[in-house]
Formats: sequence, structure tokens, C-alpha cells
Amino acid sequence: MVEAEPIPQHVQEKIERVHTADLVVGVLADLDPSALAALCDALRALPRTPRIAVLRDDHSPDPSPSNSPAANNSSPFLVPWPLLSPDAPDTPMLNMSSAYQSVFAASEKLGARACCVIASNLDAPSPAWVRQLAQPLLAENVDLALPFYARHKFEGLVNSSIIAPLTRCLYGRQIHNPMGPDLGVSQRLYQKMLGADRSARNGGNRLHSIASLAPAALCDNLLVCEVYLGARIYAPTDWVNISSLIAEVLSPVFLDMERNAACWQRMRASLTVPALGDPVLISEDKGTVDIRRMVESFHLGNRDLGEIWGLVLPPSTLVELRKLARLPLEQFHMPDELWIRIVFDFALAHRLRTINRDHLLQSMTPLYMAWVASYAHDLEGAGAAAVDQRLERLSVAYETGKPYLVSRWRWPDRFNP
Amino acid sequence: MWDQIKQELAQSTARFLTRLANLLPGILALILALLGSIVVAWILAAIVRRLLTSMNFDERLGRWGFPSIADWSPLRSPTRLVSRSIAILVIASGFLIGIAAFDSQWPSLFARSVFAYIPNMIGAALVLLFGNIVARFLSRSVLIGAVNLNLHYARFLSIGVKWLVLVLTVAMALDHLRIARSIVELAFGILFGGIVFALALAVGLGSKDLVTKSLERDAQKPGDEHVEEPFRHI
Repeated sequence: MVEAEPIPQHVQEKIERVHTADLVVGVLADLDPSALAALCDALRALPRTPRIAVLRDDHSPDPSPSNSPAANNSSPFLVPWPLLSPDAPDTPMLNMSSAYQSVFAASEKLGARACCVIASNLDAPSPAWVRQLAQPLLAENVDLALPFYARHKFEGLVNSSIIAPLTRCLYGRQIHNPMGPDLGVSQRLYQKMLGADRSARNGGNRLHSIASLAPAALCDNLLVCEVYLGARIYAPTDWVNISSLIAEVLSPVFLDMERNAACWQRMRASLTVPALGDPVLISEDKGTVDIRRMVESFHLGNRDLGEIWGLVLPPSTLVELRKLARLPLEQFHMPDELWIRIVFDFALAHRLRTINRDHLLQSMTPLYMAWVASYAHDLEGAGAAAVDQRLERLSVAYETGKPYLVSRWRWPDRFNP
Repeated sequence: MWDQIKQELAQSTARFLTRLANLLPGILALILALLGSIVVAWILAAIVRRLLTSMNFDERLGRWGFPSIADWSPLRSPTRLVSRSIAILVIASGFLIGIAAFDSQWPSLFARSVFAYIPNMIGAALVLLFGNIVARFLSRSVLIGAVNLNLHYARFLSIGVKWLVLVLTVAMALDHLRIARSIVELAFGILFGGIVFALALAVGLGSKDLVTKSLERDAQKPGDEHVEEPFRHI
């Protein structure tokens, strides 16, 4: 496969006009001009007035002269750049990943000490949060600044149920949003990512620009911190494509598990990481939720995908799933221990290529729906504190179950009842 | 007259014995070819069996989506099936080579025509193998996709797709083997068309209620607001 160049030829000259920068900010979020201006103002308030280049996602072929770096002689320099390709709507994760790669490449070209990516719109946006994300990278030699969003209990569920607790259990750091998407990266880390990308072109192991950032930083003992941000605005659920999206998100996570097996098998307990700023409190909706659709999805999966699950999951898990399928809706509850074993067994099957990897990850969707239904059932009407406790319980269950993963990973052929 | 009969009998006996004597080297060659091929077959089968056992072929075959092969394998072991098939092929080849050693026209013609047919058989076997893999892959894709779309007839769709591809594959393989081409074409047309028609009818009739309900809902509640779910996954 021919990989796209991180910096397309037609934008090379735009970036060269800026010459150098201390900080590069890639804006992938859809910001209106006033929000962009506020963001630039916030960046100007950074201590020691660093030279900043703002790469703004823009697909207009001929940017207006007022926006061009040549016309704008004061920092931050606005560089219009088509970071996100509109031609690849079916693979949003890959599209995002290549946008991150472009930001890293531009940062290297400008010799930036750090770069930030702004990919989300926040519920109650405050321009200061961009500054909060950039400041530890420039002032405190942090290598990776990750967001700690104020969370609504039913949002970012793939992250809450799999990515965050799995990262915590594997790499031993309690980070809440390992895949950002709003984050700050030091020169050391982005150069590592670019180096891996170049070696991938020569047949090496390719790192995913978003999913591999946190594991790469944690395995290299780089300094990681979290920055409190407001609530992120998530896209509404696309029920038609949800299984493909889940597969697209989980695939690089499982690939990283395979790549970093030597690293995560050494890690034992988890530690907290420094959190900067003030937690943002949001009101929690205490209304009822309808979990019938998700439970129905699980029942269908249990009826029709048993043959595929049988190749991945051990008999005891299959028995548990059958018991779960017999429960009435009001008693529906998937134990965390069962869920984490499912995640671990799917990660192992992904490594062993037990079946086609896309099929494998997509066949996990009904099981994920069962966990979400169970979680929603548990937290219906619960407040923020109960949500935090519930997710902490899940993370602890992941850590407790880690010996099972290590054992299965090392001896996959051993009898597993 | 009696002398003439005796002479004729002696001549026919001599002819028979000459023919028999002419056949003997051929029979000997056939026996040698058979014995040689049995030895080669035994060695090859042992090598293949060891090789497949070392790479856990039986388990892998199950993982690749062919667990049913074990059901019609000797001792439920696909490894034995493959090694025995190879042995039988080698022995059959040895037999044909032995037959070709006869110094007469029809056995060598028979052997030559069988050898000429082997590429067709290999081609048909490859078509069957490839078709089987494609059928299983597509059926699994359809099954997972349909389950994730909450379609209650997911398994039915998946089986339909699998059989469509399998029927197409078998028709292609038979065509490759040049067996009753016109009948195969006709039967395939009828069978394939029938399956598509049956699927169309089944899906059409199955979704009739769904479409009716959907239209009724739209017609009855024009101003009904869309209820947004609170769940955000990614």
C-alpha cells in the first residue's frame, strides 16, 4: 500500500513561509471564525510568548489573502491546510490518524518544541483550555498532555468500557482518555511517532497516530499528565455503522497490545498521573433510558453468532452468556468479570488471527451492547459520584483480571475451561 | 481334415502364447510401477502427515472455517484425509504409468486421456476450494453485519448467500470438468434463479409489515419529534 505523504506538496510552501515555530496547533474541530480568533487570543496569552503556527483544517483551494501567513506577520500564524480528507468518510479513524501525522510532520518541519491537536467541540467552550493543554508541554517538559473531559455518564462509552480501563490495566497509569482526541505532544514523542511511521514505510511496524500515542509514551516512561476540560460534544450514534466504527477504534488498540506485549506484561499496579487545572462539574441527566434495543442486539448475537463466539471465547464464558440471555430485561446485568474476560479473549483472538480480524471485532458489538445495557441499567438515575465509582470498579476488575490475560497471552493453547 | 484342425489349434495356441508372452513385460512393468508408487505414496503420506501435524492443521482448519471437513475425514482427522488423498493420487498415477507401459494402443490412449484430464480436475478442485472459502467469508460477513443491524433473519440471509456462492461454484467446477455442460448450465440457471427469486420473495414478504408499519407511523405522526438516545459510543 502506498502511504500518503504527511505534508502534501501543495502545502509545503505554506509551511515554509512560517520558517520556525515553538508550538504547532492543528485544529481539526469545526470552529467558526470567532472561536478561531478566541483560540488564537488564548494562545497569545501563553507565557514567554512562543512563536505559534496554527494549522487550520481548510479545504478551500485558494485561501483568502488575509488568512495567509504572508499577510499575517504576528504569531500565531494561521496556515490553512486540508488536514481531514473529505473523500474518506468510511474510515474516520484512519482519516483522523493521518491528520495527526500531518500535524506531527509540520511540527518537525518547523522544529516545534511541542504540538497540540484540537479535534473536539466542547459543550461550554472556553478558549483557555487550549492554553491549558499547551502550557505543560512548553513550561513543564511534559511529553503527553491528555484531556480529562467532564463526562456525561452515557457518553464516550467505548472509551469508558474498554480503552481507558484496558490502558490503565496494561500500562499502569490511570488515564481517562488515552486516545484524546484533544491532546498535546512533545517534540520527543512526535519524533518517535514520525520515526515509526518512516520505518513502517520500509517494512517496519506502523504506529497509529492516536491509539499508539499513550502506549508509546508510557512504555518509554515519558512524562504524561491530564488536563481538566469541559464536556466534549460527541456525534450521535450511527447505529448502521457502529460495529465498523468500534472495529476501527479497537483494532489499533489490540495491535498496540501485540506490539507492546513485553512492556505491559511487566507492569503490575496502576498509578495516577498529575491532573492540571480545575475539574469541570456538569449536571447529570437523571431520566430513564431505554435499553431494549441493546439487549435485543445481544439476544440476536447470542442466537446467531454463537458459532463465531465459540471460536474466541472459552466454554465457561459461553455458558455465562447463555445464562445472561435468559435474564428478564429488568434483571439484565453483565458482571464486570465476564466483560473483561470477553475483552481479553477478543484481544487474544485478534493477536492469534483466530478468524478474520474485521469479523472478529464486528462480532464483538452485541457483547459490547450487552455491557452498555447493563451499565445503563445500573446507573439509571445515578449521579456523577456513582458514575465515577462504577467506572472505578470496572477499572479495578480489569486490573484484577490481568493475570488471566497474561496467562492466556503466554500460553494460548493451554486448556481453558 | 483332422491335421488341418490340429494345425489351426496349434497356430491359435501359439498366437495366444505369443500374445501372453508379449503382455508379460507390460504386466511386470505395471506391478513394478504399482509397487514403486505404493512406496513413494507411503513416504509422501508420512511426510505430509508429520508436516501437517506439526503445524496443527486439524485445529487450524477449524479456525479457518472448515470444521465440517473433520466429519467426513478418517478418524475425524483432516490431516489423515489429506495424507491419504495424496497417497491415493500417487498410487493412481503409478497405475496409469504402468498401464501406459503396455505395448498396445488402447491402454496408452486411456492413460494419456486420463493424464490430459488431470489439469481439469485440479482446476475444478481449486475452483471448489476457492468458492468454499469465498462462500464462508461472505456468509460470515453477512451474518455479522445483519446481526449488528438487528435483523432477525440474519442467519437466513447468511445461509442464502452461502448457498448462492456454493451453487455457483459447483456449476463452475462441473463446467470445468466438462460434465454434462448443457444440463449443468440449465440446472444452474434454474437453481440460481430460483434461489434469488425465493430470497426476494422471502425478504419482500418479510419486510412488508415493516414497511407498512413505517409508512403508517409516518402518516399518523407527521409532527412527531425525533427522540434522541442519550448513548454516545465513540
